[in-house]
Amino acid sequence: MSELLNNDLNSTDLARENAALISPELADTVTLTSIDKAINMLSQIVSPIANLARSNSVWPLTFGTSCCAIEMMCVGMSAFDISRFGSEVFRATPRQADLIITAGTITRKMASALITLYEQLPEPKYVIAMGACTITGGMFNDSYSVVQGVDRIIPVDVYLPGCPPRPEAILDALLKLQQKIRTENYAKRRVQAYQQRPVCYVDYDCGRPLEDLLAMAMEDTSLALDQK
Amino acid sequence: MSQTDTNKPNETKEMELGKFGKFLKDNGIDSTRKDDSINVETIVISVKDLEPALRLLKTSSETKLNMLLTISGVDYTDRIDSIYHLWSYDHNDALVIKVELPKQSQANTDTVNLTSIANFWSAANWHERETYDLVGIRYLRHPYLRRILNPWDWEGHPLRRDYKQLVDALNDKNPHSFR
Amino acid sequence: MSTNLETTNLKTDEMIINMGPQHPATHGVLRLILKLDGEIVRHVEPVIGHLHRAQEWQGQNRTLFQYQALIDRVDYLSGMFTSLAFAHACEQIDGCQIPPRAQYLRALVCEMNRISSHLLWLGTFLIDLGALFGFPFYPFREREKLLDLFEEIAGQRMMFNYIRIGGVQRDPKPSWFEKVRKFTAEFPDRIDEYEAIVTQNPIVLKRTKGVGILDKSVAMDYGVTGPSIRGSGINYDLRKTRPYGIYPELNFEIPLGQNQGDTWDRYMCRILEMRQSNNLINQCLDKMPEGEISGKKQIAGLRIKAGEGFSAIESPRGVLGCYVISNGSDKAYRIRWRNPSFCNLAVLPSLLIGRPISDIMAIFGSIDVILPDVDR
Repeated sequence: MSELLNNDLNSTDLARENAALISPELADTVTLTSIDKAINMLSQIVSPIANLARSNSVWPLTFGTSCCAIEMMCVGMSAFDISRFGSEVFRATPRQADLIITAGTITRKMASALITLYEQLPEPKYVIAMGACTITGGMFNDSYSVVQGVDRIIPVDVYLPGCPPRPEAILDALLKLQQKIRTENYAKRRVQAYQQRPVCYVDYDCGRPLEDLLAMAMEDTSLALDQK
Repeated sequence: MSQTDTNKPNETKEMELGKFGKFLKDNGIDSTRKDDSINVETIVISVKDLEPALRLLKTSSETKLNMLLTISGVDYTDRIDSIYHLWSYDHNDALVIKVELPKQSQANTDTVNLTSIANFWSAANWHERETYDLVGIRYLRHPYLRRILNPWDWEGHPLRRDYKQLVDALNDKNPHSFR
Repeated sequence: MSTNLETTNLKTDEMIINMGPQHPATHGVLRLILKLDGEIVRHVEPVIGHLHRAQEWQGQNRTLFQYQALIDRVDYLSGMFTSLAFAHACEQIDGCQIPPRAQYLRALVCEMNRISSHLLWLGTFLIDLGALFGFPFYPFREREKLLDLFEEIAGQRMMFNYIRIGGVQRDPKPSWFEKVRKFTAEFPDRIDEYEAIVTQNPIVLKRTKGVGILDKSVAMDYGVTGPSIRGSGINYDLRKTRPYGIYPELNFEIPLGQNQGDTWDRYMCRILEMRQSNNLINQCLDKMPEGEISGKKQIAGLRIKAGEGFSAIESPRGVLGCYVISNGSDKAYRIRWRNPSFCNLAVLPSLLIGRPISDIMAIFGSIDVILPDVDR
């Protein structure tokens, strides 16, 4: 046990992270280092068990834009049967899903919607970039309307090449993702976690969250004021 | 891009009027015939005749060209063509109508103007929006002329020969790309 | 149903709802902006272009040989047909002859592709109606068999690049034809199985009968084609009206809708079309001649003569046309697609207005729109 406690896991980051969590009344009584150590110790005990459970129930979002989406449907059907690996529950809403399989080309018009979807996904969340189009833009990478790779807008965990990849390849990517999940540590992941923010209102015309639009408007006005 | 400009398709000489050309002439609409496109009569008519000609061809029991396949815009660098492919649900005739819109005569070369036919032909509605979006032909009196494929705030018309592609964080070119 | 709701004198406010682009039943990325009065749809604005990949722009910036590989993605469920439309246009401009064996192989693989496309439609249509992950296993079972057959001749499950300008890519082995025969022998029984589950199912009937009636004059005004307009009783199929390839030599019927052109009629048309296609495959196999499979040399610098032309074929969704302007070089000057889904989707607002919101997906599913075909 003492080994676990001494196993110092980037404690400065954790300390910074935890400073905000402790209420001012308790600031004198609780030392930051002890909380870090407790989290570290607990996560090393709990994470392997929790990861085993999590990795066998990765629920994907039904997000498919083009050709790859058909192969994503095929993998759910009886010939390939993704339910053997616990991922047959394709969720229609991002709030219930763990994983986005970006099946198909992402265009500039779709990019803002994808970012919004990613933000709505609860942490921990994973992305499989499926198909050549989402890795580099693929065959369409010089088109004026195509985003050259989905990793330009959201972080990606597993890259899955092919145009489109075979259903077996999707299963392989899922197994790779499961391996990744099993090696995770809660404390580490907590430090790197995507800054979640509640998206209350998404604008009706451009599909962007209202917060972004307000920030953009503020920036524009401040720029205009600077020019004057 | 500059290579293709010099290799424009050859201009063709004028020919005798075909079946639909004669029909239009009987009804007081002048047209000139161009080279057939795969055995289909191809005629060029002027901007002001477009709407009456199409209205006539669609409704007349003699022609009954009541199926508008597509409206395409083609940029020939000095002019822009708006091309109408007409078929029929009832018989096997076909007709291609072209309207040539020289860029010089327009006050603003960014868009060229033409009359919309979406008011009496619903099929034209989306095709005209698309041609406006990609080629930049402004169809006047269109009920809802808004960009259809590109985002609503897009700038420029991508299928123009002089279109410069937007380069930003989403698609900056790889310097090692072979293109 | 709608009349009941309208006769009540409750005062309601109009509400705007945004449906999509991320929605499980919009077959990808369609977005509908709906104005609702209670449950009744008052105004619809489809927003398309979320999958606009600039296929036409690619067409004038790539060589013809490169572009052949790209166009399977115009309509990925029926890649053979997009290849065929493009090849037809180029061949007619060029004037090259296609050997009879290539013609028969084209018709064979196209009809197989028509079946696989309709099978996927059947599965997703039932998902749209609410049969989530129960029924779709059945059509996908047969679709996998077809995809295996395609993979054997083209090397890919969906992006075939099999039909080339001048002919087809490669000659299948004799054993492949035997496998196709085996498939066609058992497929009619499978269609019977689907029909036993779906056709007279009371829930399906309730959801589809009298829903989304497509009037003949409206359909013709919008340029609707394919099974959607044949469901309304207009006998318009390019395989009969403007025959191309070897279709004049084959014997088949065009199924038409029996009622007024509602969702159920369109469903029935496609089911009957699958039976006809199965029949056509057998005929192609019986008449398959020996000989060359390509009339034009497949090289990277493939060129066609200067000229322009529009050529259209009957895809599973309707009239799929390709307008090619060539200047004699290895790149086309302009390529323009006439996509059936684009034209069929334009009619959607007139079908939805006045219907309750629950009918949207039934009607949208029944016109069989596929989004890359809309956006290109």
